[in-house]
Amino acid sequence: MKNLTTQKNLFYRVLFGFIPGFLLFFSCLTAFSNQQDVASRVKKATQKLDKAHQVDATIPVPKNIVRATMEYQGGAFFTEARKSEIKRFKCSSCHNNKQVSILNAADISHADIKVNHGDKEAPLACNTCHSSDDRDFLVTSKTSKIDLDHVYDMCGQCHFRQKKDWIGGAHGKRVTYWAGERVVKNCTSCHNPHYPRFEKRWPKTYSVPLK
Amino acid sequence: MDSDKKKQINRRTFLTGAASAAIAGGAAATIGCKPTGLLGSTEAFALEFTEYFKKYYRLMSQEEREQTVARLERLARLKQDITVNIETTGPAENVLYGYAFNVTRCEGYMECIKACVKENNLDRKSKTQYIQIFEMEHGQMSPDQGESKYFHMVPKEGHFYMGVQCYHCDNPPCVKACPTKATWKEPDGIVVVDYDWCIGCRYCMAACPYMGRRFNWNEPEVPREEITRNQHYLGNRKRVRGMMEKCTFCIQRSRKGKLTACVEACPTGARVFGNLLDPDSEIRFVLENKKVYRLKEDLGTEPKFWYFID
Repeated sequence: MKNLTTQKNLFYRVLFGFIPGFLLFFSCLTAFSNQQDVASRVKKATQKLDKAHQVDATIPVPKNIVRATMEYQGGAFFTEARKSEIKRFKCSSCHNNKQVSILNAADISHADIKVNHGDKEAPLACNTCHSSDDRDFLVTSKTSKIDLDHVYDMCGQCHFRQKKDWIGGAHGKRVTYWAGERVVKNCTSCHNPHYPRFEKRWPKTYSVPLK
Repeated sequence: MDSDKKKQINRRTFLTGAASAAIAGGAAATIGCKPTGLLGSTEAFALEFTEYFKKYYRLMSQEEREQTVARLERLARLKQDITVNIETTGPAENVLYGYAFNVTRCEGYMECIKACVKENNLDRKSKTQYIQIFEMEHGQMSPDQGESKYFHMVPKEGHFYMGVQCYHCDNPPCVKACPTKATWKEPDGIVVVDYDWCIGCRYCMAACPYMGRRFNWNEPEVPREEITRNQHYLGNRKRVRGMMEKCTFCIQRSRKGKLTACVEACPTGARVFGNLLDPDSEIRFVLENKKVYRLKEDLGTEPKFWYFID
């Protein structure tokens, strides 16, 4: 008789002790097994992907781009060309030793350019960037010539932190496509080199409250 | 024998076929076989009726998807007299979309909002916007303290700007709340809504801790000439009154390799979009080299949207 009750006790102990315990354990296991946070999933993805075939679409390469002089983490990349955007390039077509007629001098002089670049006490002058010997090029502080298409090398002398971010992708932006060959905006695509700071202006639209 | 019969006619196909034929015929009879009349065109009516009986998007075969897209395109032609191209492009392999927002760079010009409204055919009447830009004082951290209704010259001194939209959480609470499974997370990380499966209960809206979802209180109105014609079934196609919608990372653009409309419109480059699984992508550079944080990280929703500072 006593033996029977202990057996019964044991039976209930198993029923109400172990089985729910196991159930809880396995339910937790299944609930958390497929829950992998994004950060670790991203960290694990180290395999290089084929740039051209990430999506099922043909991605056109825009015109007027040049290959950058350096590489980003994924190899060579392209940036928007600058020379083709300047209306009166080449500069040497006027800036030569020939005479200019005085009649249209006002139209073709650069009096409209306002320079607001650099420190207020010591702003940049024209010749800080433009070469006085060869107007078709920019010139660095170490007197090496820089092509106008590769203006990022010029800006990067002072703004080296921004240049580093620009090469990696934290500053500036890509042109139209996130996939395919990497084509990014040049410094001068967004910033006016003579007046680089974005000006105050009105917002494009307005929001109505959600609640 | 029995199962064969079931295969031939189940309840759904019977109702769809019989009822649409009857309605179309009936409508034609009442109008006197004219192509247009009181009920609109009979073709449009029949198409709408067939649409009413279509399946859940995830259970449709490719053929059924093409059929419903063809119906929707034809309906746009008949009802609004526009030619739209609705896609059903699926997710690509090895792609997980991620987004980063530079709070130092954003100047509050709201160009992203304008581009988003245009691209996603958002309702102009109730001024639905997926993106909110909060103007915040230096030192504030949560957009709760910010002001999204500003309208003055920007940027304002001593303030910074923070864009808020759907974060496409990896563990989305909205998906868990949906009673009809009308919203789900795609394999490439985009949280989408099947507009025709949504019953408009707004549970997901209540479940979202980021206010990322929008409800159509009225029939969305978009001027005919401003409608974006390149559409996706899960993206910017025509929506109706009484269902949820949300940011889809411009699914019609991103799945074709394009940047989202907000990223493309941003004049300051504050927005970064890319593939998280690509170690060379810009978004990975930001995550690895910048100081990043996510909003309400303690909730465990795992948003795929990071804020960073220069």
